[in-house]
Amino acid sequence: MLRIAVATSVLAVLAMAGGFTFEIGSPVAAQAPAAKTAAFAFRARGCSEPSKSQITAGAEGIVRGTRRSTVLNVAAMEKPGVYAVFQTWGDEGRWVIVLKGVCGPETAGAIVPIGPKGFIRESAKFFSRPATAAEVDASLKSLVEGGSK
Amino acid sequence: MRIFNRHVSDRLAAYVEGAIDANLVRRHLAQCERCRAEYADVQKGMAALENLPVVEAPASVWNSIESVLDAPKRPTFNPWKFGFALSSAVIVASFAYWIVMRSGAPWDVDGLSGSPVVGTRHISRAGRVAPGEWIETDARSSARIKIGHIGSVVLAPNTRARVVATRPQENRIALAHGEIHAEISAPPRLFFVDTASGTAVDLGCEYSLYAEEDGSGLMRVTRGWVSFQRNGRESLVPAGASCRTRTHAGPGTPYFDDASDILKRALDTFDETSSLDALGAILSASRVRDTLTLWHLLSRVSAADRGRVYDRIAVLTPVPAGVSRDRVLSLDRETLTRWKDELAWTW
Repeated sequence: MLRIAVATSVLAVLAMAGGFTFEIGSPVAAQAPAAKTAAFAFRARGCSEPSKSQITAGAEGIVRGTRRSTVLNVAAMEKPGVYAVFQTWGDEGRWVIVLKGVCGPETAGAIVPIGPKGFIRESAKFFSRPATAAEVDASLKSLVEGGSK
Repeated sequence: MRIFNRHVSDRLAAYVEGAIDANLVRRHLAQCERCRAEYADVQKGMAALENLPVVEAPASVWNSIESVLDAPKRPTFNPWKFGFALSSAVIVASFAYWIVMRSGAPWDVDGLSGSPVVGTRHISRAGRVAPGEWIETDARSSARIKIGHIGSVVLAPNTRARVVATRPQENRIALAHGEIHAEISAPPRLFFVDTASGTAVDLGCEYSLYAEEDGSGLMRVTRGWVSFQRNGRESLVPAGASCRTRTHAGPGTPYFDDASDILKRALDTFDETSSLDALGAILSASRVRDTLTLWHLLSRVSAADRGRVYDRIAVLTPVPAGVSRDRVLSLDRETLTRWKDELAWTW
């Protein structure tokens, strides 16, 4: 609970400081029926023109010891800056979702682990830049070694 | 002056046969050379016919004549009867259409196990249930109702429900007792479930709803978001959360299923008794995610206690800009909605 409170506060500080960052939530946070079956929703905070931002997502996973990657379709919701990610990766193996965003001169990134019950909020990582390959690998390794809820 | 200025060509054959009054024709013939010439030709033709040999007609000719004579007589067309029949058919069809459109068309029902009952009919594999009809399962039976094109509802054993409406803009079931599992893929507010303690309004979701005869029960949402309403009291229940229902109080305060047992027990007590001790326990045991419960409590506690709830939420998660303490304590609708939309990102 302390970690969640700290993470939430960090996000709030970043947003208030004007930094471009991502915030993730359950599908209902998108307030749109279209997101009902999404794996999770997210929003781009601190972007002065959300409609002009470029958001991409990919799934990185380990399935039976083999590394897998797949590009995901990011669904923009009616509210500007709010998006949803739908599961198109397999049920087998362990996966993390890698978000990347560009808003003018600023960039943002996030790594969202996926567990048996959905996205693992407490283990998600947020950056003011795209996540590095090493950071993605580290998250996957942590997930495989038992870091899920 | 000629008595007859019309020729009698068309009456000459009958005149020869003696089939008509001869006086008129005779007087005309006395004055008309043309008709006298035609009369002479007709007489020659009639004489020639009498000298022709008699020949037996082939049997096929007579048979065809007999078959026509034996065929049922085609009724004569009566425009008044036809008009009456057509009008009656139109009236009956229109009434039937009005009845169907007023309540809707029947839904398909699949028997999943045992022998569910629809109305007074036992169904084994497939059937239909119309608006106004009851569908019931016993301890060994279950059924799935196909809700038009928007989803399905599974009736667990020992469940009794009535189909209220099956219209495109209103698909409604009344749950008397038992448990249903609804899975709906449609725009919000098209599917409703009435119970004695309130109405579940689908907002695009999948959920289970259990109800006792007196209306008390439990709703658990597994996907999407459901609104449970009664007499102006509303509980918004997102995926991963549940909400108890009570006969005289309507929808209870929603909570996440992974909330602590302490919070759940305290919430149960508070919803029943409004105990201040229970409220204190809820506030102490609440996490960031439990702001779902706390937000609902804002409008369910007394004005004197509302500040405690506000303060607890503010400790757990930053209060967004535009959400002032005064407006929250006064239950300003717009402020509460804005705060809920922000809190949802932590649920």
